[in-house]
Amino acid sequence: MSSSSSSGLTFKLHPLVIVNISDHYTRVKSQMNPPVTSTATTSSSSTTTNNSNGSGDGGVTAVSAAAPPPRVYGCVIGVQRGRIVEIFNSFELLYDPVTHSLDRAFLEKKQELYKKVFPHFYILGWYSTGSDAEEFDMHIHKALMDINESPVYVLLNPLINPAQKDLPVTIYESELHVIDGIPQLIFVRSSYTIETVEAERISVDHVAHLKPSDGGSAATQLAAHLTSIHSAIKMLNSRIRVLHHYLVAMQKGEIPCENSLLRQVSSLLRRLPAIESEKFQDDFLMEYNDTLLITYLAMFTNCSSTMNELVDKFNTAYDRHSRRGGRTAFI
Amino acid sequence: MDPYPSSSALIAQKTWELENNVITVDTPPTSTNSTADASSDAIFYYDETAQAKFQQDRPWVNDPHYFRRVKISALALLKMVVHARSGGTIEVMGLMQGKTDGDAIIVMDAFALPVEGTETRVNAQADAYEYMVDYSQTNKQAGRLENVVGWYHSHPGYGCWLSGIDVSTQMLNQQFQEPFLAVVIDPTRTVSAGKVEIGAFRTYPEGYKPPDETVSEYQTIPLNKIEDFGVHCKQYYALDITYFKSSLDCHLLGLLWNKYWVNTLSSSPLLGNGDYVAGQISDLADKLEQAENQLAHSRFGLLIAPPQRKKEEESQLAKITRDSAKITVEQVHGLMSQVIKDILFNSIRRSSRLCTESSGPEPMVES
Repeated sequence: MSSSSSSGLTFKLHPLVIVNISDHYTRVKSQMNPPVTSTATTSSSSTTTNNSNGSGDGGVTAVSAAAPPPRVYGCVIGVQRGRIVEIFNSFELLYDPVTHSLDRAFLEKKQELYKKVFPHFYILGWYSTGSDAEEFDMHIHKALMDINESPVYVLLNPLINPAQKDLPVTIYESELHVIDGIPQLIFVRSSYTIETVEAERISVDHVAHLKPSDGGSAATQLAAHLTSIHSAIKMLNSRIRVLHHYLVAMQKGEIPCENSLLRQVSSLLRRLPAIESEKFQDDFLMEYNDTLLITYLAMFTNCSSTMNELVDKFNTAYDRHSRRGGRTAFI
Repeated sequence: MDPYPSSSALIAQKTWELENNVITVDTPPTSTNSTADASSDAIFYYDETAQAKFQQDRPWVNDPHYFRRVKISALALLKMVVHARSGGTIEVMGLMQGKTDGDAIIVMDAFALPVEGTETRVNAQADAYEYMVDYSQTNKQAGRLENVVGWYHSHPGYGCWLSGIDVSTQMLNQQFQEPFLAVVIDPTRTVSAGKVEIGAFRTYPEGYKPPDETVSEYQTIPLNKIEDFGVHCKQYYALDITYFKSSLDCHLLGLLWNKYWVNTLSSSPLLGNGDYVAGQISDLADKLEQAENQLAHSRFGLLIAPPQRKKEEESQLAKITRDSAKITVEQVHGLMSQVIKDILFNSIRRSSRLCTESSGPEPMVES
């Protein structure tokens, strides 16, 4: 069912979408399995509408997942510019698993609301949770095709697998393939990149990683800043090492030569140095000197402030001796 | 060097979590286990009866300082910051949904309101009532059961505090919509400083005098806003903010790092925030002028000047020094990133001089 997509579209996914889907899933899951400490009177089945089996028994402990993990459904919105599809945000949808139908009125209502706040975003597709794309997903996909002629399907696998190294998010597109003589729509996998704006990156970093929560001293700020750059460089280094090992193995003959990969590596290497022109050097030095100038000015301010304090203390200390006359102010 | 830097990153993450009270929900603060089990996602469960009971009890009526802490979910923070940044230099606002838990207000989600320019009128929310009602209804249907528990808005470039209008709005809210929280985000400073600038506040009721002098963290306020800040800063208090995320969020965010370390390396704050920095410096210049005038006056009044006057000027100049240090530090950080990138990617032809250049801040001149 899933092979490489050939539509030539590049997909960019924002982390907000991933956190959104994860939050939706966690919410639904925790409403279904109330934690042990709560009383057994709450019935969660009355509130959630989009899970396949509402387990209303409050005696279920959170650890023993009596019900299989629910599937949640929603819409993804974003911008499409030419061949680049950028997915910015998402919202929930109501899906009736019995009739396998989407609640259209709800979808339209939500779309209207989101249009008011984010007027540039269009519905690009839909999302769901699970480990693999299923048969019924095609129905939803087709239902959305009248809004967007080629919607995308974002699938998140919510099972936490600590050995996993890659994001459990896959993006599928639909393509018309001829199978057994019948043209059918099937899902094909597409690759995607993670795209973020600076503010998004900082807040994701903040919640996930190594940044201090408040000012702290200048030393801790410096440490935090350098640590994040250090981790990024470490990643870069590890990736390059992997490539290096691979190339060495290829040279020794352990792995068959793959020319396309070699071409890519060679083009990558040829891109260094990244920028090397007179103008760049000039601009870079100018920026450098600007920053040094700012440091210099700050030092000056600091010095003059300290001087001022010194003078005032001096004045206060020696005020008694020289009364109303002959006191020249230090300039 | 190990090809997968997971162990040292994990240690660093644990240290950071310990220092900053990031608890993976409902586990005691001593156990900072990043791979939490399902029971720690308990915070996501909305207990309707408990919430209704809390609403009836209303313990905050007797104690204006009742709520002390705020717990913000990862999703809410992300949404608020992205929305605030998307507004650019215009103030934007939105609402937060969540619940209460003893003396803490928990913010689970946030959504934007189609209102702009919120610093010009009290109750800008009135424009968006219809939107609010519609959104809340659809949310309840979709399974988000929490109620609106506060509002957030942005102060692009001038810090996290409540202006006079904000204080009036919040006082109104706290009379009729309790429990309610006000959150302020500064997206410009977030990007410039590389860390999230956020503040959570609640106002005191009219005429209430706080029992102790609340010492708040110093922050730079531009000259044109400093009066507004000073007049009202005693009428509200700040709450401590902690963040939480679910176990799935933890897992996903950890994996996300594998993909967007590229963005960390490629971000260049110097280029992105040029005009903000220029604004800060010119503001600093104005403040210096003001301080200078004050100093000039006091010189002649030295003999009769009461000691307080001198202390004020000193602290003014000291404040200016701190502001200038802050600007400088941010600039230097930005420059460090640029220099590191330059060394990493550009110095192929200058490899012979690499060792001498990577020390001290000497300008890198090609001879």
